[in-house]
Amino acid sequence: MKIGIYFCNCGSNIAEKISSEAIIAAAKTFPEQPYVTIVDFICSEDGKLQFEESLKLEQPDRVVVAACSPRDHEATFRRCLINAGMNPYLMQMVNIREQIAWVTEDPAVATEKAIGAVRGAVMRVTLQQPLEKKQLEVCPDALVIGAGPAGMKAALSLAEAGRSVVLVERTPFIGGLPVRFEELFPALECAPCMLEPLMGDLLHGDHAGNIELMTMAELVEVTGFYGNFIAKIRQKPRHVSLHECIGCGECVEACPAITMNVFNSNASERKAIDFAFAGVLPNAPFLMEEICLRYKAEECRACKDACPMGEDVVNLEEVETIVERRIGSIILATGAGLYDASQIAGMGMGTLPDVYDALQFERMLSSTGPTGGEIVTTAGNAPSSVAIIHCVGSLDDDHKPYCSGICCQYAFKFNHLITAKLPETTITHYHRELVVPGKEAHTLYKHAVKNKNSCMKRYDGIKDLAVTVDVSGQQQVSAKGDAAPADMVILCPAVIPAEGAGKLSALLDVSRDSFGFFRELHGRMDAAQSTIKGVYLAGACQEPMDTRSAMLEGMAGVGYTLAGLQPGRTLEIEPINAEVDETHCAGCRLCVSVCPYRAISFDTEHNASSINAVLCHGCGTCVAACPAGAITGHHFTNEQIMAEIEGVLK
Amino acid sequence: MTTEKGFEPKIIGFLCNWCSYAGADKAGGMQEPYPPNVQVIRVMCSGRVDPQFVLSAFEKGADGVIILACHPGDCHYKEGNCRALQRHSMLSLMLGQLGVEKERCRLDYVSAGEGEKFGRVIREMVEAVHKLGPLCLSQED
Repeated sequence: MKIGIYFCNCGSNIAEKISSEAIIAAAKTFPEQPYVTIVDFICSEDGKLQFEESLKLEQPDRVVVAACSPRDHEATFRRCLINAGMNPYLMQMVNIREQIAWVTEDPAVATEKAIGAVRGAVMRVTLQQPLEKKQLEVCPDALVIGAGPAGMKAALSLAEAGRSVVLVERTPFIGGLPVRFEELFPALECAPCMLEPLMGDLLHGDHAGNIELMTMAELVEVTGFYGNFIAKIRQKPRHVSLHECIGCGECVEACPAITMNVFNSNASERKAIDFAFAGVLPNAPFLMEEICLRYKAEECRACKDACPMGEDVVNLEEVETIVERRIGSIILATGAGLYDASQIAGMGMGTLPDVYDALQFERMLSSTGPTGGEIVTTAGNAPSSVAIIHCVGSLDDDHKPYCSGICCQYAFKFNHLITAKLPETTITHYHRELVVPGKEAHTLYKHAVKNKNSCMKRYDGIKDLAVTVDVSGQQQVSAKGDAAPADMVILCPAVIPAEGAGKLSALLDVSRDSFGFFRELHGRMDAAQSTIKGVYLAGACQEPMDTRSAMLEGMAGVGYTLAGLQPGRTLEIEPINAEVDETHCAGCRLCVSVCPYRAISFDTEHNASSINAVLCHGCGTCVAACPAGAITGHHFTNEQIMAEIEGVLK
Repeated sequence: MTTEKGFEPKIIGFLCNWCSYAGADKAGGMQEPYPPNVQVIRVMCSGRVDPQFVLSAFEKGADGVIILACHPGDCHYKEGNCRALQRHSMLSLMLGQLGVEKERCRLDYVSAGEGEKFGRVIREMVEAVHKLGPLCLSQED
């Protein structure tokens, strides 16, 4: 086997500490009899050319480059090998600059150390094998789960890029939480109006044809991996054809069955067949089987008979279906909910009639909500005093230790909207901390501070507060015994992951943090990637965030999908990965448990582990863990590392 | 084998590619000399360090082995450094049974920015092994 050592002087950087003559002399004593070529600056354009020409001329079987750190130029020199017609993995670098020349005082000692390192590299490189990047066909299309701001933005943008998107939404409508709000912080924009263009494009725009919207649907199974997922989606029956319904509401009028409307926080009634709320998109009602008389074995087809569009629009026999879709990536945009404030003693949530959480109050403010936008107590009066309690369950080790980040801003929005509607009403903000970050949030904050009818009261812990009703029936908030009337109390509970995050996490094997939010691959570098390759995180399913951030994260998921999966381009699989030799696998499954990327599965049929090269990151943890030595870590094999150890110690 | 006075320990350093190896490069960039006794073996992750590499290093003449990993929580591969820690604890026990002082096999954490710490850890390791003297493994065969 012919081995070439290329020694870079790096000007005087290496040359002044390490003698190339000594390297040449030492190489002569190596049993491999490598040739040594000295280059002045091997990374320079001239140096690379000289290197490539020499490789073409000498045609070595293996190459050692003794120069700078492989972190600087391993990729550069691998390309040189490719240009010279060699396999790039037949080279080993020796870091004689950063790790020897620059840190060793005595040139003789530095030279001796370099000789050892070169000997290690020569012994290692002899065992290195040519490796090839494998190519894999991929599906460039995506599945987006959740049609709130993040999911809608992601779905539409992917569709605009020509990708097919399956957009799965659990509720009967799109728009997520903000579409249920009247106005948004920080600029008091009408939320449904702001979302309207996005929702319109999603449903009927030029690229809507690329989007398959499935409302009242949920993911039930996912198999495969990045680039090649197969998703099974349960489509629950709406009993109304989205394509044919014109949204006239005749069926609603006719329906005799009544229940409470969960989308108005159960503060108003709805029919068994009804819209989620006024103005909802898609503009079609849905039927609640648990309320419909037909599902109680009664003969009723009032809705069907009332429909002016014909027999087929209302389908009372519609049943649940499971559909299967092939996609390459998955964007989780399942959003957030609020911590159940009834879990916090003294808040009166669920026990006192005029205590509302923020979502309930948003619906009360909304013109499509249960009171048509009027702020009224359960007794039907305008409140003359309102208390807004911030940090309910946030920044609280007994509940959620984190700051939910958005509550102060919507609390000050509430302040503004209450004063606009009820100018005489007093508003008291009870807060632990005030958080109004960024360039826009201060406006509403300042407005609230300047509001002559409002005041701020700081409290230390939620235990210092109590919402009670006194003997006269007056609801009040007492802070360490100091009571003030509050006809209406609005709680700002901690923002938590939406219901169903746990189920999705189990289904996709995506990890969650201790708060239940989906865990990022890296909190700063890859905050929009989950721990599973090809599954991206967008919006408040990852951490509490506002609409603006959710939209941006939606775009991040789009970016990953567009950059990683391109039509007609295969996925390149890095060859520095691990591989199981089935014949040696003892079936202990230790590797499965240590793999941080869930790249290893156990094949019960062959009683052996198998590593998915797409998911493997090449860390080698499984290789070290395998008690049977059945796993090869390509380019970092046991034999190669052992040879290097032996070489440097000789 | 060198005499006690002229003894220069031979030490193998297993460095993970992303933090410690980068930390060693950073030390290089600072051009602050440290003892030359540690020969570096680069691995992608400290989780790749098979206990048999360590045993083999001792067998082939190393007087000490140092495994440098990313700081806990910073592992490029999420938790490979935790595996390295587990294996190191096991190795310490095993080396004790073989009569090898546990100070001869050290695990520490060096980040990509900790050039100064890298030099310090190397100095400490070399000093510690220097004090222990050469490793003598009795050969059965």
